[in-house]
Amino acid sequence: MRPPAALALVFLACASLARAAPDLSADALLRDHLWREVRTAAPDRRPKVGLVLSAGSLRGVAHVGVIRVLEDAEFPIDVVAGTSMGAVVGSFYAGGVPMAKMWSIAKGLRVDSGNNLSARRLISLLLFDRLLSSANAERMIRRTLGSRTFAQLLKPFACVSMDIYTGEAIIFRDGDVATAVRASMNLPGIFEPLEYRHRFLTDGGVVDYIPIDAARLLGAQWTLASVTETDFTAARPKSVLDALEQVIDIRGSYLSREQRKQADFLIEPPVGRIGMFDSQRIPEALDKGVITAARRLPAAEESLILASIPLLEPGWAADPRLFR
Amino acid sequence: MSHCAALALATALLAPAPAAAWWWPLGPAYGHPLKPIVALEGEGHFAAVLDALSPAFLQNLRPNDLRDAYLMRGESFEALNRPDAALGEYQLGVSLFPKSVALLVHEASLLHRDELDEHALVLFQRALVYDRKNWRAHLGLAEIDRRLGFLDRAVTQYSLALEEDPYDAGVWRDDAEVLLARREPEAAEYALGRALDIDPKSSDAHVLLAFARRAQDDLPGALAELDAAARLGAGVGVLRAKTLWLIEAGRPADAAVEARVLLAKAPGDPAGLWALARAALPSSPSRAAEILAPLASADPEAPFSARAAAALRKAALRPDRVAAKTSP
Repeated sequence: MRPPAALALVFLACASLARAAPDLSADALLRDHLWREVRTAAPDRRPKVGLVLSAGSLRGVAHVGVIRVLEDAEFPIDVVAGTSMGAVVGSFYAGGVPMAKMWSIAKGLRVDSGNNLSARRLISLLLFDRLLSSANAERMIRRTLGSRTFAQLLKPFACVSMDIYTGEAIIFRDGDVATAVRASMNLPGIFEPLEYRHRFLTDGGVVDYIPIDAARLLGAQWTLASVTETDFTAARPKSVLDALEQVIDIRGSYLSREQRKQADFLIEPPVGRIGMFDSQRIPEALDKGVITAARRLPAAEESLILASIPLLEPGWAADPRLFR
Repeated sequence: MSHCAALALATALLAPAPAAAWWWPLGPAYGHPLKPIVALEGEGHFAAVLDALSPAFLQNLRPNDLRDAYLMRGESFEALNRPDAALGEYQLGVSLFPKSVALLVHEASLLHRDELDEHALVLFQRALVYDRKNWRAHLGLAEIDRRLGFLDRAVTQYSLALEEDPYDAGVWRDDAEVLLARREPEAAEYALGRALDIDPKSSDAHVLLAFARRAQDDLPGALAELDAAARLGAGVGVLRAKTLWLIEAGRPADAAVEARVLLAKAPGDPAGLWALARAALPSSPSRAAEILAPLASADPEAPFSARAAAALRKAALRPDRVAAKTSP
């Protein structure tokens, strides 16, 4: 039975309820007006903006979703810093890899992407007590970025690793990008330390989960940190790998509590319940990055605007005809 | 008469008959019990519809009529402003008739209205499995994608909805808003042109066109569209936009004039105060700070305009700024 006209009218009335008018409130218009000023301001008339990408293993693909939203909004990003998966994503972004390609690479990641983390090799690790090599990780990064140095990237970039013998955080800002990023994501207990520049390097997430200090070293004056931390209270480790993951997650969580306070703005995609190696939930992590960043974007714009006003004001005061 | 001949005769007699009459020898005509209730709904007697579609009545309905009955019960509850009860009817209907596109879309629309988009998304997608051109499902997905931040997907869904029904001005406007958010002002202008062809008196379309022109750095064009929106009865928001955009256009004196008009209509309006303060800033930072004083608040929970005013006041009252303006 076809719905009669009355039903159709009720139906259409329901459909039209969702139609929204443009937001012409004072807050929305003032934010939009000032955001235009900030986006188009000369570099010395706004703070230098640093994008900071935390560690988080496969959960860290959420950073790609966050960057997608920031790119769409033309959010000004001057420097990039990352640890572990944050270093991988950050290096791609700083290297100008198109978003479509980054998204595609992220969706295609597997537990053994760019490494030797197959079941056979894990068994070999346990039986023969020999750590695996992360050389494939470096090859994966080179396939995307080539053999570029830090100086050849489109934006200044830094990534963090740890010297496993001294416990120091080692911040890379120059030299070969692929090697440095490999060092940053070199998971301890699974991959052998990478000997590079007289250091024995492992994942930087153990000592610098959210590398805000690295961004400040690059000159960042206002930092936006994308943090993909775990909810370790939900985990019930049953295997050697699970237990190792849990220990790393707990360490990262305690470390990030203090580091969070140093960021000017936080975007925290709720990926805490996605396992460190849970590649099946990568699409979910990507989507959560987009959703969280989209929701937080107006507040991020407001925060940067407020930080920019002291630098914009002299220009406004100097010549009323100069607004760009 | 042989079997074949009898069959041929029956076919010849019954084939031209209306579909509703086909089952006449076997029972009432399809949809017949609901006709009087449909009439009640058409007259807006929604409470009577619910009374008529009682549990006892529903028990005796054929499947297709039962499906339509749940739909009518849900719609009647919605019309009576009882969305929770409506949702219950749609959910029950979907559990019994999982392939009913109408029930799926109605349930999804309610969930979407309540911002339960994860659940609404699944239902809209299911509806499209059974009816891949369903306009309302595409529109629902467009709105969800837009709300969640998937602007590219939203554009695709709006396009599919507009393929099915290109005569809804509101959908063209929504499509334009998403295109503007994706920094595609030319495409947004096209969509708004279509919207205005259908509804030339839409002030919202002119406002959006103003944003599209401004995005292309055509501030005179943008201001003209704001004036057009104002002539069509748009509210004080258009005045606000014009006040601020005159600053962008390098016309602070005109911005101050508009600000006074705005403040006469909306005393204390933040956009008006901001424009006056900006106009005063070059010659008298202390005067600018005084203008912003009623608005300013550094409280992190304060509205953005209050916090921006506080930041500008603080900058304007910096000792070096005040000294520079007061020194001979």
